[in-house]
Amino acid sequence: MKSTFHGLETARRAMMTQQYALHTTGHNIANANTPGYTRQRVNFTQTEPYPNVGMNRPMLPGHLGTGVKAGSIQRVREHFLDVQFRNENNKAGYYGAKYESLTRMEGILNEPSEQGLASLIDQFWGAMQDLNGDADDSGARAVARRRAEEIANTFQYLNSSLTTVQDDYKAEIDVTIKAANSLLEQLNNVNKQIRSAEPHGYVPNDLYDEQDRILDQLSQIVDIETKREKSSGQPNNVAEGAVSVFMKLPNGEKLQLIDGTNGEALKKFNEEMDYSEGAFNELTFVDINGNGTDDESIKFDKLARGELKALIEAFGYISADGSTKGTYPEMLTNLNEMALQFATEMNNIHSIGFTLNAVGEPSELGGAFFEFDPANAAATLKVHSDIMGNLNKITAAGVNKDALTTDARAEYETLMKEFPKNYERIRELLSDDGSYRNPDIPKSFSGDGSNALLMSNAKDTLMNFNGQTATIKSFYQSVIGEMAVKTQEAGRMLGSSESLRGNVEFQRQSVSNVSLDEEMTMMIQFQHAYNAAARNITMVDEMLDRIINGMGVVGR
Amino acid sequence: MRVTQMMLSTSSLKHISQGYNRLANLQDQLATGKRITKASQDPVVAMKGMRYRSQVTEVGQFQRNLREVYNWVDSADSALDEATQTVQRIRELATQASNDTYEATQRANIAKEVKQLREHLQSLANTKVSNKYIFNGTNTTNPPIIDDSKMNLGIAVLNNSAAENLDQYNVTYGGQTFRYVGESGDGNRIFQDIRQIGKEPVFGEEGFEQKAYQLIVEEDGNVTFSEPNKTIGATEPITKVIRQDDIVVSDRAAVSVNTQTVEIELMKGVTIPVNIDASKVFSTALFGDIIRLEQALENPSLEGKDLTGYIDDMFGHIDYLVAERAELGARVNRVEMIENRLMEQNVFAKRIMSDNEDVDLERVIIDLTTQESVHRAALAVGARVIQPSLIDFLR
Repeated sequence: MKSTFHGLETARRAMMTQQYALHTTGHNIANANTPGYTRQRVNFTQTEPYPNVGMNRPMLPGHLGTGVKAGSIQRVREHFLDVQFRNENNKAGYYGAKYESLTRMEGILNEPSEQGLASLIDQFWGAMQDLNGDADDSGARAVARRRAEEIANTFQYLNSSLTTVQDDYKAEIDVTIKAANSLLEQLNNVNKQIRSAEPHGYVPNDLYDEQDRILDQLSQIVDIETKREKSSGQPNNVAEGAVSVFMKLPNGEKLQLIDGTNGEALKKFNEEMDYSEGAFNELTFVDINGNGTDDESIKFDKLARGELKALIEAFGYISADGSTKGTYPEMLTNLNEMALQFATEMNNIHSIGFTLNAVGEPSELGGAFFEFDPANAAATLKVHSDIMGNLNKITAAGVNKDALTTDARAEYETLMKEFPKNYERIRELLSDDGSYRNPDIPKSFSGDGSNALLMSNAKDTLMNFNGQTATIKSFYQSVIGEMAVKTQEAGRMLGSSESLRGNVEFQRQSVSNVSLDEEMTMMIQFQHAYNAAARNITMVDEMLDRIINGMGVVGR
Repeated sequence: MRVTQMMLSTSSLKHISQGYNRLANLQDQLATGKRITKASQDPVVAMKGMRYRSQVTEVGQFQRNLREVYNWVDSADSALDEATQTVQRIRELATQASNDTYEATQRANIAKEVKQLREHLQSLANTKVSNKYIFNGTNTTNPPIIDDSKMNLGIAVLNNSAAENLDQYNVTYGGQTFRYVGESGDGNRIFQDIRQIGKEPVFGEEGFEQKAYQLIVEEDGNVTFSEPNKTIGATEPITKVIRQDDIVVSDRAAVSVNTQTVEIELMKGVTIPVNIDASKVFSTALFGDIIRLEQALENPSLEGKDLTGYIDDMFGHIDYLVAERAELGARVNRVEMIENRLMEQNVFAKRIMSDNEDVDLERVIIDLTTQESVHRAALAVGARVIQPSLIDFLR
């Protein structure tokens, strides 16, 4: 026998449930522009029909519906798209940081341009050519010195600019590590909240959104994999669970950072980075209390892909064979090598020429043209102070061969034809008074520019740059070319991973994003249902009114 | 597929931003006229560009060096031209003077004119171009002839100087230059033609007497000239005693002693010597022979036929000058060939550089207009897709 008030209860449930749906619609509309918000829907389920199965169930012509209830409120989201998105986001993070580091370098080196090092070397060559034709002209000497100064200044400028950017990257690595740790902590806390809600049958949708937002951010920094952990107790069947996070290492191994079942098992990056010789050495981990863990430390080659890896790659790291590698350190090494070889060659040639024969300072064998610290040539390169103090000290002139004795002259001519030249021996020969026939014969003449010509031609001399034989220009070209190709490649990869990420994001939004039109339509639908349920109550009310007030009044 | 408002807005923004990117790139290309502004836009163009720019710089510099080369050789050529005419004039005067109708006083006047011409030759040897002495090898800051008293030191120094200092003197006789080689057994000082020094015959070896051109200066100051006898079958050299004022002793440093070349690079690895060897033309022999002529003209005891030898000497010097000018002319020809080559190279290098890195302006402008319309379309589409939604129609 069904209850008299059955209809009231059914309508009440309907009103309640439609209200839930309307409130959820309101929540969706409110969050239409919230980043990372997933639209929610109310899963309507019919309540158990009457009568229940049982011994003393009444015989009714059928099962009588008892209405509706909001079974659960669920996020509309596709987890598979999340995995794809994070993968592409990780690539975009890596190539984005890499591209940025390379374009900054490219901007500093500023090639090809009229102000770049390549063009300055050409100008120096030209000034030395002019000096050859006009060896005693102080104007030509001043220009040659100025050009040499420009080269030295440019080496210094490039070195200091690159070093400054490299230091910026160190700071950025620290910031990134801190950001990653903060994300891991947040995630761990969200996990805790989820774990305390779910066993009681709650479905904390907004916490899941928070979780996904954090995971998106984290995936940009390091390559991650996630696993949902089912909660204990009585979780709702649409509950998604807390999340375990693993860092994916290039060798296929995984390293668990967050355990979805145990909030105490959090693992973070050690913010005290291990640097040796100014380069990244290895990454270590700390537990939730900041104490070191016994996990294996991670060197660069085992580091997971992502923004962090790109930053470390830019800043420099100790590679497996113990040498320092990385975008900036390698460029600095190349510039140092270039400065060292160029300046050494110039000094060698300069020291076998003779200074200008001027009044009060007779011509003498030259000294160094550049001064620098061989360990750090690019940063310390300057034109030698003697030359800065006196233009006449530039040795444009070669030796006066007529002043040499027959033997010395023969040896000198042989030595000058050799390649590579034995500058030490030439200098020895020229500084030995015994090589000259007569102290009264001038050792050089002011109109001789042959040594300036030699210096200008050093541009085309093959030198050894860390084992690579090249002229200074061709070496520099190869350095620039390599950097340009790397930049181009990083830019391309960034473009493609960004566009893939965009596609996945589009698909994800297609599933999860709030459509206002849709929500308005639903709203009208639920509102009508609500109103209809209210009308139903009125109808039941009238029925009851009929029973209560309209019955048993016959003959009134 | 479900498409929402937000998705449309996002992609509109993306398209508009991409449009701006492309416009910025085209703007760079139009403003700079260069295909790339960063090496990474096209590494190959960038690397080639560096090499091609280097080439353009080099060719430009070599063309600058050319001007310097012409400066040297043209000035040297005109100075040598004038020197040739001057020596011609001296020869004419010598020819006039060798005519027996001239008296001693007239000859003395001619001697004065010859002296003037000799001083003119000295000033030619000291020619300066843009503050450089061009007839002094690499020693361009000093004039080659500073003290003309060193040109005629007098024969007495040959016997008064210590033997080890004797080789700093050049002795001029009959167009030849002699230098001290040693003392013979009987105390005579032997001077040998410098063209033979260092070759055959060597003083003190067999056959020297027969083969050497030599001046034998005896202690009493008598000078004997000895030359090989070219007649077939002759064994003894021809000797003659010469007047003491017919040899001129000069200090070797009286003229340019700098034999170094000034070399200027005109192509990669090709250097051209731009100066001439002044010691060959403005030599002690030239000035010595002119001084000998002056002294002979001033010598009243000489007759016309005694002067004919001097005319031949002058011919010899004119030949030297002409030969040096011919050599210089050959060099100028070579420089002109290099100049043409450089002009071609300049055009070529610039064209290669331009082909590599310059934009094709028409193409970029067309790209720009295309991109402009695409961008406008993106903006218009953006304005249209951000449509009123259902909300506006629900009342």
